Amino acid sequence: MGTENCKECESTAEAVERLERIYEYLDGALSRDDISDVQNHLSDCPECASDYDLECLIRSVVKRSCTEQAPETLKLTIIQRISQIKIEARH
Amino acid sequence: MVLTSMTVAVLDRPAKHQVVGVDSEVMSERPAPASTLSEEIDVAAETDAARRTRFEREALQYVDQLYSAAMRMTRNPQDAEDLVQEAYTKAYSAFHQYKPGTNLKAWLYRILTNTYINIYRKKQRQPLQANTDTVEDWQMAQAAEHTSSGLRSAEAEALDHLPDSDVKEALQQIPEEFRLAVYFSDVEGFAYKEIAEILNIPIGTVMSRLHRGRKLLRSLLSDYARERGFKRGKES
Repeated sequence: MGTENCKECESTAEAVERLERIYEYLDGALSRDDISDVQNHLSDCPECASDYDLECLIRSVVKRSCTEQAPETLKLTIIQRISQIKIEARH
Repeated sequence: MVLTSMTVAVLDRPAKHQVVGVDSEVMSERPAPASTLSEEIDVAAETDAARRTRFEREALQYVDQLYSAAMRMTRNPQDAEDLVQEAYTKAYSAFHQYKPGTNLKAWLYRILTNTYINIYRKKQRQPLQANTDTVEDWQMAQAAEHTSSGLRSAEAEALDHLPDSDVKEALQQIPEEFRLAVYFSDVEGFAYKEIAEILNIPIGTVMSRLHRGRKLLRSLLSDYARERGFKRGKES
């Protein structure tokens, strides 16, 4: 465990909350005030800063790993299928 | 045709469907490129041929993305292909209900997700895999305990170099309802509000699923990375 962990993050509940703030920060879901609050905390707390780095890393790894290419034929099959559909209902 | 009635069943739930299409301000950070063009289209007067062309032009560009999502849902290429085909068929049948200029990608994802839930999960006779309560609080706390501090730089590097198969496997191990939320957020970059509309759940639920899913994923990926880092350390 790190030695420079800030007082605020010593309890598990606080740590969970801080981690969730990091998620929301990365999700672009925080208000301007909350954003600067998180940024200030990240510059003061090495533990949270490394959590932040890890979270960024995880997201890039997930994104990289889950990008697949559909089989060539899929698009053609879809085009063929929809060409057989007659739309009856009009609103 | 069976598909048409399915589509109605899937799409005509009150209010929910509306959300994906109508409020473009809420739905999209980045407006669809064709939006100004599309807004001028009189959907009711459009001929079948014109609509099909418009559908092919605007909707088919997302085939790879929907296929990737379908792979995370069905876990195998054939089912993923079938699911995407089915979703596109439904989407086309309901395309006159889609409001041009609103978030088409989110609209398609919603249809994909509904199709998956309505057809595939029933067919597979899988029980609703993810019961939120089955994820114990201690697992969450453990995941939040500054995982990174225990992750040495060699392991962080191992995480960075994890093979795609490990990452997919880790993702597959987290309960489905968390997995989809995390996938939509991290891979597709959908906002909470959009995910809420795609999955048809309140925003608060999206946030709690994301938080829980991310903590689990973090914990699993750290394990994989430790294992790989350890092996690598031993080899050198």
